[in-house]
Amino acid sequence: MICLLSLIVFGVLAVFSAGYRPMAKEAFDCVFRRVTLRKCQSGLDIRVKSKIVGKVMNKSPRLAKGVHKYFEVVSWIFVILFFVSLAFSADAIYNLVVYDNCNGPDADPDTCFFTPDEIEVDCDDTLCEGGECEVYSNS
Amino acid sequence: MNVEKIREDFHILKKGIIYFDSACMSLRPKQVIDKINEYYTEYPACAGRSIHKLGNKVEDEVDDARNVIKKFIGAKKSKEIIFTKNATESINLLANSFKFDKVLLTDREHNSNLLPWQTKKYGIFKVNNGFNIEKFSEIVKDYDFVSFVFTSNLDGYTIPAKEIVKIAHEEGAKVHLDAAQTIPHQEVNVRKLDADFISFSGHKMLGPSGMGVLYGKEELLEKMDQFIIGGETVVNSTYDSFEIEKLPNKFEAGLQNYAGIIGLGEAAKYLSKIGLNEVHDHEIKLVKAIDTEGLKVVGIPGGGIFNFNIPGVNYHEVASILDASKNIMIRSGAHCVHSWYNANSIGGSCRASFYLYNTLDEIRVLNEELEKLKKLG
Repeated sequence: MICLLSLIVFGVLAVFSAGYRPMAKEAFDCVFRRVTLRKCQSGLDIRVKSKIVGKVMNKSPRLAKGVHKYFEVVSWIFVILFFVSLAFSADAIYNLVVYDNCNGPDADPDTCFFTPDEIEVDCDDTLCEGGECEVYSNS
Repeated sequence: MNVEKIREDFHILKKGIIYFDSACMSLRPKQVIDKINEYYTEYPACAGRSIHKLGNKVEDEVDDARNVIKKFIGAKKSKEIIFTKNATESINLLANSFKFDKVLLTDREHNSNLLPWQTKKYGIFKVNNGFNIEKFSEIVKDYDFVSFVFTSNLDGYTIPAKEIVKIAHEEGAKVHLDAAQTIPHQEVNVRKLDADFISFSGHKMLGPSGMGVLYGKEELLEKMDQFIIGGETVVNSTYDSFEIEKLPNKFEAGLQNYAGIIGLGEAAKYLSKIGLNEVHDHEIKLVKAIDTEGLKVVGIPGGGIFNFNIPGVNYHEVASILDASKNIMIRSGAHCVHSWYNANSIGGSCRASFYLYNTLDEIRVLNEELEKLKKLG
């Protein structure tokens, strides 16, 4: 599962830096092999795991043991969290585009950071014509 | 042997690394690097072809390096020293040029001393937990050539070469020793051993990479056919024939790695100055300081290489974790001895290999980290 996470992380980094492209390619190859029920041959999974465990071992050997033992489980949790987070983000973006509110049409606009603020304009303002007051968005 | 003083010659060690991968590639001291630089900055010309000042200087330096190597291994004549790219090339040259009927190998050969012989008739002699000289005496009767690994890169085990050569000669077989892991770590005298051929690399003995040596007795080298031919291997040529050069040029085709040759000579000088017996004793002391409790020792212990596995932790993981946690560099995998690992159903292992620049303090750090790693399993 760490290969999938690596693909996502290195895939994003590779967009901005060519230095990460070989790693992203390696991660892709690893994921491709795994989804076609073959073993990842590049050793990327072991390298990423070992690097994390090695760094953790310097701080806490006990925690390192946990990370080493449950690495696959922890990876799964992160992958699931990633996809759940991705789904919520997609829903929020859809709502924001369609309803100007990332929480949906009936939700309180104050709970969405991206909802455009409404500015009350004084009717005496020169922009108000014929005594009718218009509302302008600040976005 | 003053290890701290020796360490000052190795710039890379100031970067805080713990280098335990010398069986793969040794580090280079300042003296060797300076000598290589000297060639490129002071006399970057051809040897053996050009008669100008620079050409003569290179020729002198190459001759000097050949003489140093001759003395270093106790050869009789400098023309018995053939410069190659590495031990692998030396063995390939031998396998393709020396005429024999059937070769005997051990079951723990590096791929470099296994694959070149696999196209010939060959047999495998099992070393198991130690070299059985009686059994060898019986088996060698069926062979006219023996090519054994002198010191194994697997575990540092050194075969009783002198006895082996004696017995093989009594049975009429010639002997080649793959000494890539021996020459850098202990004193070898080819005349005392009476070995017919010896091959080794420069990069494992503080020398530059891309350099190797094939030693052979003059009379045997004379009989051997050329393997690679071209520039410098002939005295004269016509459109349909050529006259072969004398030793050692006969086998050194094309423009040579002069910087490498000169650097290798300097490496041999450096090691001679320190003394290989002291280097060997130092390495044994380091291996003995390793806390082996809870580790699965692989191979035959006792040499200057420590091969192990940690139950429950993958060997590649062990190497990567040691690198990430404390900059400890070891090697993991099958160490180019796949055949032995396959025959013994072992996927791979970790190998810590030591040299003159390693210290007991570094072993202490390794022990501490191995202790933590054992708990991961």
